[in-house]
Amino acid sequence: MILNMRAKKGTDMMLSMYWFFILFLVTAAVVYMVGLFYGHPYDVRELEADILANSVVDCIIRNGELNSNIISGGIFNENFDSVFLEVCNFNFDSEDSFQGEIQYYGKVDIYSGIGVQNPDFEMKFGNLNIASACVIDSGKDFEALAKCSKKRVYATSSGEQYFVEVTTAVKKGEKNVNV
Amino acid sequence: MKKLVKKRGELLIGNVIFIILNLIFLTILVVFIIKQGSGAVSLEQSYSKQIALIVDSAKPGMKIEVDMQQARNSNKEWYDSNYFDTVVFTDNLVTVKLSEESGYSYSFFNDVKVSYDIYPEGKLLMVVSEK
Repeated sequence: MILNMRAKKGTDMMLSMYWFFILFLVTAAVVYMVGLFYGHPYDVRELEADILANSVVDCIIRNGELNSNIISGGIFNENFDSVFLEVCNFNFDSEDSFQGEIQYYGKVDIYSGIGVQNPDFEMKFGNLNIASACVIDSGKDFEALAKCSKKRVYATSSGEQYFVEVTTAVKKGEKNVNV
Repeated sequence: MKKLVKKRGELLIGNVIFIILNLIFLTILVVFIIKQGSGAVSLEQSYSKQIALIVDSAKPGMKIEVDMQQARNSNKEWYDSNYFDTVVFTDNLVTVKLSEESGYSYSFFNDVKVSYDIYPEGKLLMVVSEK
């Protein structure tokens, strides 16, 4: 009887120690997961690149017609990039830019038809150093690089049909990923 | 017989205490998780990014209302006395500040003028117009 009682007390003690160990494990796991989740900034670069691409498309194509600042009488305006930011109401300079570096990049290619290799009109804007991020495969190692977005649309001008491809990229790594 | 009843009573009290302690532990964990999610620092980041993206996709002439009830609830005392300073637009940068020692800024590329008003009940009203 005494032996039984001692065995029971021993088991209870073992159980409570085991239980405290479980509680400690659960607490540590929850704290670690919460830290992992809230420790990372919200990454909105993909959305931002999407919005930028949509804004570029909205600016260069109005009611299905290519903007007259880009093409007039079938001739492309090669100097459009110098007035692009002003015409489209974009401002890429900001106080939170990392070392004054522009955090956006974009490219507009206009083809006279599908399957055409070389674009009839090409324009790049923003920080050209970010461009490479759009050709590198995404992965954890490249997370700090820019996020890209691509839009393909059709437009017309003077009855001619054009295929427009807009590529945009947003860097802002220090605000969206733990570098 | 008396001994048996006493033993049964002790067993019941022991179990009840055990369950109560477990519930307290779980409650503390849940409160901890909720507090982390609704903390000023985390909300500042989420609000400033949300507002910047809204402004980026806005067209001149748009009137936008943002519900900032959660921001108000996170630090009610501070919000009620400083609500007019919680959101600040400077050029193309939006800064959200929900406590004295913190603040988060995020930039937007849309070159527009944003006129805004913040209300004490936790509402941000923005009117987007051309510069």
